[in-house]
Formats: sequence, C-alpha cells, structure tokens
Amino acid sequence: MNTLQTLQQRLLQAVLADNTPRLRELRGDAHADAVTRLAVYRHGYRIRLRDALSTEFPGLRLMVGQRFDAMLDSYVQAHPSGHYNIRWHGAGLAAFLEFSRPWRDKPALADMARLDWAISTVFDAADEPTINAADLADIPAEAWAELCLRPQGHLQILPVTCNVDSFRRAADRQEPRPRMRSYRQPRHLLVWRQALTVHYRPLAEDERQLLNAAMREEPFTALCERLAEYHPPSKALPRMTALLRQWLEAGLIGAYRLKS
Amino acid sequence: MTIETTSSRAPYLGYGLGLRVEHYEALLEQPGNVQWLEIVSENYLVPGGRPLVWLERFRERFPLVMHGVSMSIGGTDPLDDDYLARLAALARHIEPAWVSDHLCWTGVQGINLHDLMPLPYTEEALAHVVERVTRVQDVLGRRILLENVSSYISFADSQLTEWQFLAAVAERADCLILLDINNIYVSACNHGFSPLDYLDGIPAQRVQQFHLAGHEHGGPLIIDTHDAPVANAVWDLYIEAVKRYGHVSTMIERDDHIPPLAELMTELDHARTLAAPWLQRAA
Ligand SMILES: [Fe+2]
Repeated sequence: MNTLQTLQQRLLQAVLADNTPRLRELRGDAHADAVTRLAVYRHGYRIRLRDALSTEFPGLRLMVGQRFDAMLDSYVQAHPSGHYNIRWHGAGLAAFLEFSRPWRDKPALADMARLDWAISTVFDAADEPTINAADLADIPAEAWAELCLRPQGHLQILPVTCNVDSFRRAADRQEPRPRMRSYRQPRHLLVWRQALTVHYRPLAEDERQLLNAAMREEPFTALCERLAEYHPPSKALPRMTALLRQWLEAGLIGAYRLKS
Repeated sequence: MTIETTSSRAPYLGYGLGLRVEHYEALLEQPGNVQWLEIVSENYLVPGGRPLVWLERFRERFPLVMHGVSMSIGGTDPLDDDYLARLAALARHIEPAWVSDHLCWTGVQGINLHDLMPLPYTEEALAHVVERVTRVQDVLGRRILLENVSSYISFADSQLTEWQFLAAVAERADCLILLDINNIYVSACNHGFSPLDYLDGIPAQRVQQFHLAGHEHGGPLIIDTHDAPVANAVWDLYIEAVKRYGHVSTMIERDDHIPPLAELMTELDHARTLAAPWLQRAA
C-alpha cells in the first residue's frame, strides 16, 4: 500500500470516528493545533449528511420532530455514504429504520422514509411517454381481450401502516404535524409522476391488484376477471371503466400492446 | 453578448453565477448582468424529470460550464468509470464551455466524505494526480480545470507549497486552473502563507476561471461557507488576481443563505467595477 493511500485511509477513519484521534501525519501550529483543524472536517461531514438527508425526508422530519437529527446521525454513524451523490445516501434510510433499534419498534418511521424516498426518486426518474384515451379509441372491440396496458416504469406501490401521506402533505405545505392514525390492516400508497409533477395517493385493494397485474402484463380479460373477485357482476364493468379512465387521465399508463 | 477569444484560452465569458434552484425562474425572466452560468454537474446526472428540463432552458439562454464535486482526482480508489461516463455524456449533450472539478480527494475504500479533502503536497501525490488527470482528459476528450480548495489541515509530509503543487499538476498534466480567490484567502489565513505569493506562483496562461465567495470566521480558523457576501479582503485579492491574469471568466458562488438574485447581481457589478480599470489597461 502506498503512503498516499494509507494517509487517506487514516484521515477518513479519523473523520468518521466517534472521538477525535491524534494523527501524527497532521501538522498543527500556533494558529490552531491539529485536533482543532481536523475537527472542521469531522463536524462538516456530519452536518453535510444531515442537511442533505433532511432535504430528502421532509415527511420523516415532521413525524420525528426533535429527535430527527439524532436519528440521522445514528444512521450515518452506522452506514457511511458510498455514493458520489450525497442525496443517494437516502436510499438506505428506510431499511435502517426498519431493522435497527430503537427505530424498528415504530414501523411508521420506515413507512414514512419509504414514501419520502419514493417521491425523491420518482422526481427525477427517466422520462417516459404516456398514452391517453384517444390512443385506445382505435382498438377494435374484439381486440380488447388481448390488450396489455403497461404502467409507467417509475410507478411505485408502497405498503403503509399509518397515514404517512398526511405527514408528507403537511410537511410540503408547512402545516402543523397531523395526528397519527395507525391502520388495522396495512394499506397501500401509489407514487408516480405525471409530466414533471410527483403525485401520491391511497390505493384501494382492487386497484392495487389490477395495477400489479398490469405490471405483469396480464391482458385486459385477466384484469376484468380479477375485478370480478371484488365486485358483483353489475359493478365490475363500471369500476373497470372508471379505473381505466382515471389511470389514463393521471398519466399512469406508458404504453399498450395487443398480445397476439 | 460578446464573447472574446484569445488563441491560448477558451472563450472569455465575462461575469456569471453558480446556478441554484432558488434563482431558476428569476434568471430566465431577468438575466440582467449575468452573462454565463456554472452548473453543479452532479445535480444533472439524473435520468430525467424537472432538473433536465430546466437545464435545457438555461442551455438555450446562457453559456454554461460544468463544475463537479465527485471526481476525487486525488483519491486512491480507482477512478469511478460510471461517474466519468455519465459526466462525459452530460458534457456531450450540453456542450459546456468547459468542465471543472477540484484538486482534492473525496473518499477512500468506497466511502465518500462528500468533502473536498486536501492532498499532501508530495512528489508521490503529484505523480498520482497527474496520471489521473491525463486519464480523465482522455475520457472527456478535453482539458479540465482544477480548482484550489479551502483547507484547514496540513500534512507533515508536504514538500511543496500548495501553489507549487497546483502549478505542477497543471503543467505536467496539461490541464487548466479554476482559481477560487476566496479559497486562496481562506487557506492563506488558516496556514499562514501569503496569498500574493500564491498568485505569483500560478502560471497565468492556465487560469481560465475565477470563483468568488463568502466565508465565515469559526474560532481560530476561517471556514469556506459560501453563505455570505464576498469579503473585502477577498475583493482586494481579486484585484490582485485581475492585475496578474487579465480577462478571466469570473463568477460568484453562493450555496447557503441564498439571497434574492438582485443581490448577487449587485455583487457581480462590484466585481466588474473593480476589474474594469485593470482590464482596460490590459487591452
Ligand atoms: Fe469554489
């Protein structure tokens, strides 16, 4: 190992360490000793990651309140950043909260982190085309059975145990912290982008099943059959029509394909 | 807008700003005296969405230069080929006037400190950086600018001054220099060297851009915070730099406590006013 590499490794460890070590490689002077000088980098590292993550997780910040900085510090302490873009260190926060004490005792935290992160990644996900109702108008009636609707590639469906969406909305609007409501059964949120705007909304169970099926490229007949499991025959078709219109208007569908 | 060119240097762009989200709309509506923009490359190394749409708009209106913070040209981990490929693709797409990063390292063993860590000014580090700059310039197909960073530590092993090191990197790797006037001032105060010796030691024909920014006094050290107006001592040093290097594209960086655009435009005008007598003399 060359000396430059050794020096960098020792300095990096000194920046990350809990206590400020003395490094013989560093020079101090009458102006400031080496420990004071090193402290600038140690402090800067923590503040920079805190600031960057804080920007990515506004909902979580509102939910956690005063302990938010301590939470971020414990994450950064356990997981140093590996990505060149500081923002991307946010990718591991939800998993950290899900599995580490004491945070794992409150599943709302991981749920919240997952929603914040989904919004962040969908924001600058790759641009994709969308189709609208007019694009489907020319499909002959007999071909609909074999029609596959392809949802946008960036679309995310998140399981949640409480109203994390209210927290995110309140954070974005700079409103006070909402009351937490835990769900008896897990629910789901849909996160997607239409043109340049990120949206999120609760997803009913039948719609979730349908979207998942569409992502697996199941044809239209299969979607209708799935819907029949949730609704009596008289309601299934109107529900299908309503969902399809809603999907197209919201820009959820990127493309379609006729299976044959 | 007129862009002057000289044979040895890239176009002289005049006076610009570091592009920040807070000024997106204002800059497109009232560009005022802002002649060019520096983008932080990493902010646009994204697959799609709003950042790239804005970038297109600015590209139509302003000359752009790309400024990165992640190259880790002095690092001892292998150069990040994926990062460089993305950087090269962005450069091909937006055709910036030039591409810059910092003379520093940002991490090692796969860990990123997200900071601009100084190097020891040794022959070993010099050879290492020169070899990496050469490779980066091959990948990008152009010469890059390297910026001097603010530093708070110095290394017992350093044999060269910072300016000797920077000048030697530029000469041996045939790269260009982005001189951050505030960083020179900050480091000069923190390490007790003369900022004028620094300016005198830099090869003038390689200086292609100036950064101006604000700093903060934190205990015995001065911290490069980019959160305040340019300090008087830095303006004085800027004049000294203009005297030595002449027409060098100049911009102001502000990353925190970002003021209304008009305030930065006033600062830009101040820079113009200070430099004008010396630039006339040079012309
Ligand atoms: Fe700078």
